[in-house]
Amino acid sequence: MPEIVFAKPALPKSGGLALLLAADEPLAGLAAGVEEATGGALGRGLAAARFKAKKGETVTILAPGAGLARVVAVGLGKRDALTPLVLEEAGGHALGALLGDEKGAIAADGLAPNLAAHVALGASLRAYRFDRYRTTEKDEDKPRLATLCVLGEAVKTRNAFAPLKAIADGVTLTRDLVSEPPNVLNPAEMAERCRKLIDLGVKVEILGPRELRKLGFGALLGVAQGSANEPRVVVMQWQGAGGAKSRAPLAFIGKGVTFDTGGISIKPAAGMEDMKWDMAGAGAVVGLMAALAGRRAKVDAVGIVGLVENMPSGTAQRPGDVVKSYSGQTVEVLNTDAEGRLVLADLLWYCQEKFNPAFMVDLATLTGAIIVSLGHEHAGLFSNNEELAARLREAGEATGESLWRMPLGEAYDKQIKSDIADMKNIGGRAGGAITAAQFLQRFVNGKPWAHLDIAGTAWADKGKPTTPKGATAFGVRLLDHLVATHHES
Amino acid sequence: MTGALTVPAERAADLPAPLRAAASAGRFRFATGETVESLASGRRMVAVGLGHAPGPKSLRAAGAAAAAALLGEDRVVLDARARTPNEAALFAEGAVLRAWRPDGLRARPDPEAPRLSAIDLVTTDAAPWQVLAPALEGASFARDLVALPANHLTPSRFVHRLRPLARLGIAVEVLAADRLAAEGFGGLLAVGGASAHPPALVLLRWAGGGGAPVALVGKGITFDTGGVSIKPAEGMWEMRADMAGAAACAGAILALARRRSKVAAVAVLALAENAIGARAYRPGDVLRSFSGRTVEVVDTDAEGRLVLADALSYAARRLRPAAMVDLATLTGSIVLALGHERAGLFAADPGLGAALAGAGEAVGELVWPMPIGERHRADLDSAIADLRHCLPGRMQPDACHAAAFLREFAEGVPWAHLDIAGVESRDEADAAHAAGATGFGVRLLDRFLTHG
Repeated sequence: MPEIVFAKPALPKSGGLALLLAADEPLAGLAAGVEEATGGALGRGLAAARFKAKKGETVTILAPGAGLARVVAVGLGKRDALTPLVLEEAGGHALGALLGDEKGAIAADGLAPNLAAHVALGASLRAYRFDRYRTTEKDEDKPRLATLCVLGEAVKTRNAFAPLKAIADGVTLTRDLVSEPPNVLNPAEMAERCRKLIDLGVKVEILGPRELRKLGFGALLGVAQGSANEPRVVVMQWQGAGGAKSRAPLAFIGKGVTFDTGGISIKPAAGMEDMKWDMAGAGAVVGLMAALAGRRAKVDAVGIVGLVENMPSGTAQRPGDVVKSYSGQTVEVLNTDAEGRLVLADLLWYCQEKFNPAFMVDLATLTGAIIVSLGHEHAGLFSNNEELAARLREAGEATGESLWRMPLGEAYDKQIKSDIADMKNIGGRAGGAITAAQFLQRFVNGKPWAHLDIAGTAWADKGKPTTPKGATAFGVRLLDHLVATHHES
Repeated sequence: MTGALTVPAERAADLPAPLRAAASAGRFRFATGETVESLASGRRMVAVGLGHAPGPKSLRAAGAAAAAALLGEDRVVLDARARTPNEAALFAEGAVLRAWRPDGLRARPDPEAPRLSAIDLVTTDAAPWQVLAPALEGASFARDLVALPANHLTPSRFVHRLRPLARLGIAVEVLAADRLAAEGFGGLLAVGGASAHPPALVLLRWAGGGGAPVALVGKGITFDTGGVSIKPAEGMWEMRADMAGAAACAGAILALARRRSKVAAVAVLALAENAIGARAYRPGDVLRSFSGRTVEVVDTDAEGRLVLADALSYAARRLRPAAMVDLATLTGSIVLALGHERAGLFAADPGLGAALAGAGEAVGELVWPMPIGERHRADLDSAIADLRHCLPGRMQPDACHAAAFLREFAEGVPWAHLDIAGVESRDEADAAHAAGATGFGVRLLDRFLTHG
């Protein structure tokens, strides 16, 4: 990943330079400087490409003169419609076009420092690459960019970027966790990576199989019992609110199935490799905690992740088994591939009992049904609390991690009635994402709660301006924004 | 009045003496829909609980439970004098909805079958009931159509059943296959092409007090084999109900006519049988829709959106509607998404969407807003035509794709789409619902049209 530095607006003498241009405006500042230094090559090039500075429009002019290897024009659309999100995407487009030179710069001289910082954020999000397992990649296939310099009010922009850098680091951590192959990232390894958050000031507690048995996490343990890789539950606490009076923390809970074969109700072979990212909910919670701690957020937050591997074996849980959850409620397991809700059930009850949180938000790649419902543009949002739901949706719009509200209701809850236990873990095909949420709701004990079903958004087959294809870290930015907007004094 | 008696009750004081005694002996709790029966007076008497401070939902549920308990009687008296006339009407509405059943195809009468055919409502003022009755008649009309098997309800026999609506002052116009060909209904003709029973477009116009009508556009696939992309045999019989959208639109127009409504509305029903045969359209075909836009067919089982596309653009161009609402049993995807409790609501116009959702809430036909995202539309880009109509492969958000497709044919008219797959019929009867066709949409549309 390139290092991001900040400097005063002076025309670079080499490398690539990206210009952020608003629609219907004459070239000004550094852009005007380039135009002059290149003897009008910029303006001629843009005219030839019919560049209109529409949002997301990108034109590269190679060797325009003045020593520059390339100039990249990135359209911002109309200036009065500029938002942090638009600038992040522009930063992402710019970064993508600057990867070919060792040195790159983005002219952010026309922007207020707090907005310019979002350009840097977008660029750093786009620069993510998961290449630790490539040993034979040729140099010419690797991105060359080593340093990206953001040109503008250097000191102020650097200061404004500091908390955003922490968010970007959280996103990177999540993407790394989600991208790791399942033979590397088993529950124990993921717990060890959570432990590293201690360096950021996070209190980390790891519960192993013995503690979980003692506590009575029967639903989670049932999922884990088929695997040789034993489960972990990691509790991460960030206490940033300060003051003597301790307030109810915000709680974030993640499904962390490090690999999901489906268990005895085994999945079809085609596409099963995707199930390495069945821990993306947990991954997002870890990244979020890193982001909050990294930017010293003035909030008390607790993150809890349930880490298990769902394997078929001689010791695996069977369809028909009845397990006793930590809440005391019994569950008839009719499909061992509906395992995420079993893991979350124990975490939710434990969380509300132990921390009495102001609210709980869980993230989980929970159901295929949510993909058939909404596709890949929105995650499903289920909540028993209108204010929390509304704030989550707003945060989603602000960060480009969109949510769509889905219904809950008694009629759906009836679908998970069991003949022999308190409930069963599947409710049939119809409304499959909703019945999963109804199941979870039985474990929140009436606390304000929201459930984000991120099965369609945690992994992207196509890249976006600030999200290369692969792990998206969906949820980290959204929840960080929720905390920053409503819960920091 | 003779016949079995049923009394809705919130408390013991609401009940006549024999029922009061039975309620006490039977530990009756007056819970919504709970029933207790007394035979002590020599007449069947059923008390039905309303719960505490009953709203429309509880009143309907109680009425349904009363009817369910007395389906074996020919005639039932609903004694609702202890309730307000408005409550009495809602109670009776629940009973009427629950008492519906498909009749007429049995050659030999079944002595065990429900008999209930008359309900006497005893109330102090019939006016609220008269407000509800037209939509109930419309719903019953729609349910009878949905229940008919496909050999009894081909497109032409569907038309035959719609013709008598003219007696109510509804203008019935039928565009037969030759006219459809002349007008360029490429989607409807392709879908109906393989069947021995040719397709038709039916217009049911209720002029009301004049002005721009609201267009109700209904999918009327009288049977859906899936075509060349044939469906699995299991459960295919249910596809006789794939015309429930068209039936609901017709029922809503019937209701308007019955109440001599001032509202102008027109139903546009696209009727076709999606059969398989030598003249079947194929996956990969490119069709020219009524709008002139070309459509690449990916899966012949996504036929509903093709017939609706033609019907929507025809309505938008020829009928100058103030708004268009289409109803269709369109996708399996919406069943996975919302199950059997709510229909999917896709609205390009937020005000229209809110009005429909509110109407559904008021009558107990629930909908849920669903998205049409940028990507849903982008996914429909075709390499060889103006657009393709769905995506190959499983695990697609097909309900959203279908809505994004239909939006392209609304021609800028305020438009909303209700995907009613999953709510158009019920597998099993329970205290609140009859088995089979629900008539979903008729009462919602009637409420929407009459309350705005």
